[in-house]
Amino acid sequence: MKTIEILRIDSLNRSPLIAEGYLFEGSDPTAPSVAIVGAMEGETILPLYTASKLVDFLRHSLDDESKIVGNILVIPSVNHYALNINQRFWPLDKTDINTMFPGYGEGETTQRIAKKLFDALQGYTHGIILETREGISTCIPYIKLFESGYEDLKSAKKFGYRLIHHKSLRPTDTVSLQYNWQLWGTKAYSIICPSDTNIDLNTSNEVFDGIINFLSKNKIIQYKVLSGYESTIVKNRDIEIIKTSKSGIFIPTKKIGTTIKKDEMIGKVIHALEGKVTHRIFSPCDGLIACAYKNGLIFENAVAFRVIKSG
Amino acid sequence: MQITEIFSSQLPVGEKLTIKKGRFEPKERKPDTKRISIVSGTHGDELEGQYVIYLLSSWLRENTDTISGIVDLYPAVNALGIDTITRGFPIYEVDLNRAFPGSNHDYLPGQLVHALAEDVKGSDIAIDIHSSNIFLKEIPQIRINKEFSPSTLPLAKKLNCDFIWIHDAVTVLEATFSHTMNEMGTKTLVVEMGVGMTLTQVYGKQLLSGILNLMKSEGIISTDEEFEQREPFSSEVGDVFYINSPSAGLFVQSITHCAIIKKGDVIGTIVDPLSGKIHDTLYAPSGGILFTLREFPVVYEGSLIARIFGESHENN
Ligand SMILES: [Zn+2]
Repeated sequence: MKTIEILRIDSLNRSPLIAEGYLFEGSDPTAPSVAIVGAMEGETILPLYTASKLVDFLRHSLDDESKIVGNILVIPSVNHYALNINQRFWPLDKTDINTMFPGYGEGETTQRIAKKLFDALQGYTHGIILETREGISTCIPYIKLFESGYEDLKSAKKFGYRLIHHKSLRPTDTVSLQYNWQLWGTKAYSIICPSDTNIDLNTSNEVFDGIINFLSKNKIIQYKVLSGYESTIVKNRDIEIIKTSKSGIFIPTKKIGTTIKKDEMIGKVIHALEGKVTHRIFSPCDGLIACAYKNGLIFENAVAFRVIKSG
Repeated sequence: MQITEIFSSQLPVGEKLTIKKGRFEPKERKPDTKRISIVSGTHGDELEGQYVIYLLSSWLRENTDTISGIVDLYPAVNALGIDTITRGFPIYEVDLNRAFPGSNHDYLPGQLVHALAEDVKGSDIAIDIHSSNIFLKEIPQIRINKEFSPSTLPLAKKLNCDFIWIHDAVTVLEATFSHTMNEMGTKTLVVEMGVGMTLTQVYGKQLLSGILNLMKSEGIISTDEEFEQREPFSSEVGDVFYINSPSAGLFVQSITHCAIIKKGDVIGTIVDPLSGKIHDTLYAPSGGILFTLREFPVVYEGSLIARIFGESHENN
């Protein structure tokens, strides 16, 4: 293994931001290769933890170096500056690096960061981006693939997560890493991690095991894995969006990852000053709770749950 | 004048979020009565538009007899952000000007922008007033998407601004207010002027004249009063030069105004307070009009320092 400097950004008073990649060179130069990008934003503890755990796994858990067959690059964090002050975006101008691709070397700071990162990510067969959901929600781990015309749904199943969200492309998605990486010839996948702010070992293992499944099934590493799920491909029309008609204190009564029946109560909203229940949330269909609102206070008409319909 | 709520939402704890509109209208409405909508405060840290709308509202109150069209004022689109010094929509951290067209089924920021777009729909003209951000100061200028320039450029020239910047279509900008409204048939202009978290009164008054001038020529006000209409520079006939900081440090301005400059003029220096050294001196790469200048001193490599619009023949 060797570490390579992906980018360096100086600061007026903080020590320089040096994002490093851990490059594991495979024993077979003709084997497929993969690059994995961890935390591009702050407040993304699972992407960071999963990527750093992967570095440790590749260094210490494979008994023989030759079991790394294809090249693997892991970049656990691109945005130490945001992580260290628990902010989501670039600390000075609050821009999101994941909206700056393919990047521009002569542009603004985060465009330059994106450019340097993007340059380092070229030429890989597969690309894995560890992300968390935008907005105020958390979810079970799943793969997000844009309908870009370049996506590879079959390969995405090799992670073995329960769901693959095959998502229509919005204008703002055209500046994301996944879209641009695909445009430039890498099969890119986003793993959407739960937005936990601390580490839950069960969830983090699920995210991690998916990556090991993928590496193993693509023969990038030799490692015996237990199969994951036969992933269900979810289109926007398969998702039931459940909202709260009232604002107030939000209490989910069912957890994400739970399968539910039609008319089952899954959450409630409490009047913030008087404590009475103002709204009960019932599932309109059978299905699986994939996403839930994560704050204690909820707005009117906010999405409380996203349920993947079954039946 | 009539004030209505175009959007409201009960917040979790004992408060209602409302987005308000003020309307001036003529005593008699004809089938060809024109309607203009003036929008500001989409970004919570931009306040210049609030001042312009105050000036306009106050002028219309004093001159009700002149009103021959409908004037709708939306001073504070991101009301929650403005009152809390938050550029995006609080909590969601969403840039409202990347959330259009939104929908009723969308999350709160998407519902809000949808309500705005639906309310402005049907206007003949819309003006979306921005004031840059807290980092950069802009001279009064109009930003126009090339795609819509045949219909919007003639209006832009009436707005008494110093510069018109016609830019190429960019996919990501399709989620803006101006793109959405232009698509819906409202001729929409984006004004950028001043700097975030500040009121630049002289710019506010300059744009007021421009808006009144445009309204007069469109028959929305009928008055003998003459309004200033300065001749703007237009990016059709030249190039925009960007000056980004080559290093991190403290940016110290050598010029204090957005003004006409010569090639090689010093724009400022990037200094290191601790060592007392100058990291870099920044020179103008072209003569022309310096229409953007950095106000906020802390910079990283890449931070935008200035933009110059230069004549093409000065390019070398
Ligand atoms: Zn703005």
